[in-house]
Amino acid sequence: MSELKDKLFQELSDAVVDMDEDKTVATSHRVIEEGIDAYEAIENGLAHGMDRVGELFDQEEYFIPEVLMSSDAMYAGVEVLKPHLKATEQGEKTKVVIGVVEGDTHDIGKNLVKIMLETSGFEVIDLGRDIPPQQFVDKATEVGAQIIGLATLMTTTMDGMHEVIRILEQKNIRSQFKVMIGGGPISQAFADKIGADSYAVNAADAVRKARKLVS
Amino acid sequence: MVRRDELTSLERIATALQYKKPDRVPVAPLVCGASHRVLGTSYDKWSMDADLATRSLLAAHEIIGFDSFLTLVDLSVEAYDFGQEVVFPKNSTAYTETSNPLIKTVEDYYKLTPINPRETTRMSMVIDMCAGLSKARGKDTAVIGFVYGPLGVLSQLRGHERMFVDCIRHPEAILHAVEVLTEVLIEYAKAQIEAGAHAICIDTLYASGSIMSKRMWEKFEGPFAKRIADAIRAAGVTVLLHNCGNKIYFDVQEKWCNPTAISHAYPSDDCADWDEHARKWGKKIVTIGYSVPSDTGIMMSPEEIMEDCRKQIETFKDCDGGFILATGCEFPPNGNLLSAIAMVNASKTYGRYS
Repeated sequence: MSELKDKLFQELSDAVVDMDEDKTVATSHRVIEEGIDAYEAIENGLAHGMDRVGELFDQEEYFIPEVLMSSDAMYAGVEVLKPHLKATEQGEKTKVVIGVVEGDTHDIGKNLVKIMLETSGFEVIDLGRDIPPQQFVDKATEVGAQIIGLATLMTTTMDGMHEVIRILEQKNIRSQFKVMIGGGPISQAFADKIGADSYAVNAADAVRKARKLVS
Repeated sequence: MVRRDELTSLERIATALQYKKPDRVPVAPLVCGASHRVLGTSYDKWSMDADLATRSLLAAHEIIGFDSFLTLVDLSVEAYDFGQEVVFPKNSTAYTETSNPLIKTVEDYYKLTPINPRETTRMSMVIDMCAGLSKARGKDTAVIGFVYGPLGVLSQLRGHERMFVDCIRHPEAILHAVEVLTEVLIEYAKAQIEAGAHAICIDTLYASGSIMSKRMWEKFEGPFAKRIADAIRAAGVTVLLHNCGNKIYFDVQEKWCNPTAISHAYPSDDCADWDEHARKWGKKIVTIGYSVPSDTGIMMSPEEIMEDCRKQIETFKDCDGGFILATGCEFPPNGNLLSAIAMVNASKTYGRYS
């Protein structure tokens, strides 16, 4: 059984790296048929594969198209396995509320960060794009998030990030959240200026910085 | 004491692009959308009105004194004319509504048909801007036309993520659509040249390590960008590229487009820093850069900008005059115009070649 389990986990991991959605779905069904634990299959198979994809992205072997294809393959497998998860197995994860600030709809960077964070063990609450500052604060408070992730590609909407921090300060809840920012026009200097806790250059960096923020 | 200029802006730019030393480093802060604030109009009106945009750019030029105009309106111009829904915020850059893409299915790639840019709404606006700027200042100031590359335009019609995935899943559909777009963009470039543009800048954004592999770019855009570049050269003007991505691919862009200059925000992917870039590429392809737009337009004081620009001029000082001081991407539309003036002052103060 253990041998079969390891083999199937390896197949899941490889299928994610190979961007093979059909294979992750078929192998996930096989996992269930063989009575293998779905949670383990996600952790040691699909998420393991996505970790490898993250490394390949970091090493510039994979680029945005490959990451998107791999994540499609991973999520397809997760959809098969999810109904078979036992409630007790879904432990408490670090929560990240993420979104693109108001006035901006460019969300590919945010989506990549979401994928990488989720596969690195974070629970991501994705608000989407064009999100008013207050909504970030309200959702983060509601779900008890530890991190608020803000993205924008445009200089005209950068101040929305500052506004989120202002609201947190006005409500005297700034210390409850770590604020991480990123996007094309964003720099460490801007993060320092508005008092953000962290600035991520790209999705792989966002995972590193998020881990550091909650360590 | 700041010395008087000896060359016109046009002469200064042309000299630098030929790797000859002009009187001083040419300067182009890429003030485009920001110019709408000079005349006090709204961004949405500026984005749709050739006369208003032209007068705004001329007024900005009068105040700032940059050496070249760039007819970048925004990256949704070409897509709009193909029928893509575009959002025009009153105080921000127009963008395509990618939740409602023109190309909704793979089959839709094959439904894309050529259009005549001269008979469109927004591409013809840019053509008219070239004509207006050329008529007003073309004798003494460089007028650079702008064309978004075919893969860039396609991403505006399909949505970036969907198009990237389709590059792997449905390459033939992408190639079909890029073929259609390329012919239109060639005509668009030619029309801008006929209207008086001294050079055309093609935006090859996806030739960047932060987006896709070289192999993928060479398959889906390189050969098509080459055809546009060849047509521009055949029409008798200079080919420039713009690419504000990180780790940009100078080698394959040179291979396919052979540009005279590249407007860029980061060093080439084969260089660790700007010093290495200047040594490796500075005498082959003129750099137009490399101020960080948000830092320059929003964060820095004029004094800090002057110092930042001084360092950039110093970095490229041994490139036989082949350097144009600029922001690495468009000057922030909401940026402080005094910052653009500071860049021009930096060129006049620190950029003298003799």
